[in-house]
Amino acid sequence: MEPSLLEVKDVLKSYFENGKEFKVLDLIRFELAERDFVCVVGPSGCGKSTLLRIIVGLEPPTSGQVLFEGSPIRADNPQVAMVFQSFALFPWLTVTQNVELGLEAQGIPPEGRHARARKFIDAVGLTGFENAFPRELSGGMKQRVGLARALAIEPLLLCMDEPFSSLDPLTAQNLRDEILQLWANPDLPPKAVLMVTHSIEEAVYLADRVIVLSSRPGRMVAELEIDLPRPRNRKEPEFYGWVDEIYSLIV
Amino acid sequence: MRGLRGRLRILASIAILVAIAVAVFYPQAAWNAIQLPLFAVFSTTRMVFAYLLSLVFAITYGATAATNKRAAVIMLPILDVLQSVPILGFFPAALVFFVVTFQGSPVGIELAVIFLIFTSMAWNMAFGVYESLTTIPVDLEAAAASFGLRGMLRFRLLALPAAIPKLVYNSILSWSNGWFFLVASETFTAFGGTYTRPGLGSFITNAGLAGDATGIALGIGVLAAVVLALDTIVWRPLGVWSERFRMETTGHEVPRVPSPYERFRWLPRFPRLRRTFWASAQPVVTRYRRASVRLDRTYSAHPKVLRDIRFLDLAMFAVILLLVVVAGVFGLARLFLSPLPPAAAELPRAAASSFVRLALAYAIALAWTIPLAAWIGRSPRGSRYLTPVLEVAASLPATALLPIIVGFAILVTASLGPAAEVSAVLIALFSMQWYLLFNLIAGVRAIPDDLNEAARSFGLRGRAYWRRVLLPGMVPSLLTGSITAWGAGWNALIVSEYIPFLNPPPHVSGLGYLLDIATFNKPLPDNEMILLTILTMIVIVLAMNKLLWRPLYKRASVKYRVEV
Ligand SMILES: Nc1ncnc2c1ncn2[C@@H]1O[C@H](COP(=O)(O)OP(=O)(O)O)[C@@H](O)[C@H]1O
Ligand SMILES: [Mg+2]
Repeated sequence: MEPSLLEVKDVLKSYFENGKEFKVLDLIRFELAERDFVCVVGPSGCGKSTLLRIIVGLEPPTSGQVLFEGSPIRADNPQVAMVFQSFALFPWLTVTQNVELGLEAQGIPPEGRHARARKFIDAVGLTGFENAFPRELSGGMKQRVGLARALAIEPLLLCMDEPFSSLDPLTAQNLRDEILQLWANPDLPPKAVLMVTHSIEEAVYLADRVIVLSSRPGRMVAELEIDLPRPRNRKEPEFYGWVDEIYSLIV
Repeated sequence: MRGLRGRLRILASIAILVAIAVAVFYPQAAWNAIQLPLFAVFSTTRMVFAYLLSLVFAITYGATAATNKRAAVIMLPILDVLQSVPILGFFPAALVFFVVTFQGSPVGIELAVIFLIFTSMAWNMAFGVYESLTTIPVDLEAAAASFGLRGMLRFRLLALPAAIPKLVYNSILSWSNGWFFLVASETFTAFGGTYTRPGLGSFITNAGLAGDATGIALGIGVLAAVVLALDTIVWRPLGVWSERFRMETTGHEVPRVPSPYERFRWLPRFPRLRRTFWASAQPVVTRYRRASVRLDRTYSAHPKVLRDIRFLDLAMFAVILLLVVVAGVFGLARLFLSPLPPAAAELPRAAASSFVRLALAYAIALAWTIPLAAWIGRSPRGSRYLTPVLEVAASLPATALLPIIVGFAILVTASLGPAAEVSAVLIALFSMQWYLLFNLIAGVRAIPDDLNEAARSFGLRGRAYWRRVLLPGMVPSLLTGSITAWGAGWNALIVSEYIPFLNPPPHVSGLGYLLDIATFNKPLPDNEMILLTILTMIVIVLAMNKLLWRPLYKRASVKYRVEV
């Protein structure tokens, strides 16, 4: 087993409203190593987004700790990149400018930025759209920009919050396969992927390991190694076996 | 484009011919015509300074309130009050302050004028910035944070662009408010003397004083031309450009003035001129960007420096706030602990008569704007021919029409007392009506076609159609328009109830009149009365906002909101 890239240690999260405590996440604990592809699945509202925001350092946990390469996570860590369900593209920036966002923040000079942005725009298949604005793109293309923007900072860990939920099924399937290719390619980032989804099928299709959360508050019900060979076929009985098992765990 | 240029050339030749004819037959008017462009430049310069000041203020104030929750608790109510209070009420006090500080020198008066225009522009812009920054989508904020955008870079790539749509929208509103105040402030009487700064506003006022009808017409014509030209070459393109910065999910709001793209659509856009301008501005922008990135990199490497700056900022804010609060409490305590001045007994009656006057003007405005808006909003032809005329008329601030209105009132009533009464109502009407009209038009246009077609297919016609479709569709925009119109009406009181440049000055009883005589008609201004009058106005305005408009608006937005 490789050394841990990410350690989530007993993370607990509560919100307080009118003095009353609402527990959203309860004692989440898992590790993630280089070359891992981990999916967190759970019903809507169980705290998946909150968990991911805590993991990338956008929100502090109420108690517990998130360690990245052994030290507490910070939101602006350039080794961790994020992809959003709503794409979160800046509407006033072109595709290239959006992709360069993280590079600009790192202070990389314009020439280096442009070259790197072009490389990842090509990698996600958006060649020719460098100067388009997000509003001119379809949903699938927007998410490709979001992906290129995350990859451009060459992260070790790619975190994705339901990245395919607002896309049509065909586009979503294409993008899933492309993510798998990127992850399998040792020359391209990322080294590891952590993805949150409410779709059990998607989790079984993509992940080596699935972490199953119960509904509110989100509690870890199981951590399963999916040992199906790749590429996986949704029609095979083994695939269905896994889907059914996870389904029964959640219900 | 050929056709347009040809038409422009014909227009130019006609203008030159007219100019020559005027120069030969009316030498006085010709002299005016030479002076006027210069005056236009002076007035516009004042507006630009006030606007830049407002812009800096709006961004700093709005951004501070949006990022600092503790400060926002105090900053927002202050802004709310300043936005809804008749700012012109403070004008006398501000004038006295600037004139005394600079011992009557032109610089002081110039600053007073700019300050006054600033007070009419700044607040809604600051609110716009605050609203934009607090409604940035959570995921966009998260993306900015996780990709490490900080400091100046975050401001340039996230905060400023996110604020641009509302900032531009409110700038257009503020700019037209500014003209009203500019004209009101370029000439004024205080300490038994009359102070004048050269400009279009003072030119019109002086022409009115001298009874020079050509002068009045020329002044108003040039003012209209300047307003329209700036709208065409600055505000409309800015409005279109700001569209790029809109978040895709947010819907369009009901505009309080015609929206920037609808307004002046019939005027030429000069694409080549604009391209040339941007091409020459590009290098400057690039250099500024480089410098700001360098600055940011230098500082973000030193979190301690950043923390110190923030701390200093907060400390300064706290000190200023403390000073303001202490001074305010002290002043109020002094005011109410000492016996009230005898003139204070007039306050309730004055307030009542001002209110009745505004209510009358409001009723007249409603009576003609509702039917006209219903017609224009539904008839493309009416809209095409009438909108340009109405927009030109609306672009003239009521203060600039003052000489005409007063002259008209004297002509109609043939005696000074009733004339003052009529002109006071008319000025209020001219300040209020356009807000109502353009909001109502927007409201009628916003009624979905489906709804109209459904109404037609069910045979809804005449009164039933008005009751079931048109009027309900107008309600939300009627309320927005009313709030703005009443705000403008309270401001108009100060110029409408007492007209100092006529001899003897016609006046009617009212809050505006009390305020004016407390400031101008004595060797020294009567501070107590100024404060009491302003306080009375503020209480009435805030009470109306909180007890009448807000509840109505809340109910209307639940009941009449049309789902799209
Ligand atoms: N800032 C917040 N304040 C209060 N409650 C919140 C906040 N953010 C999320 N929640 C609550 O936490 C729960 C989990 O939300 P989320 O993580 O978005 O769920 P998921 O992504 O699994 O659908 C929801 O019920 C939501 O209402
Ligand atoms: Mg979610």
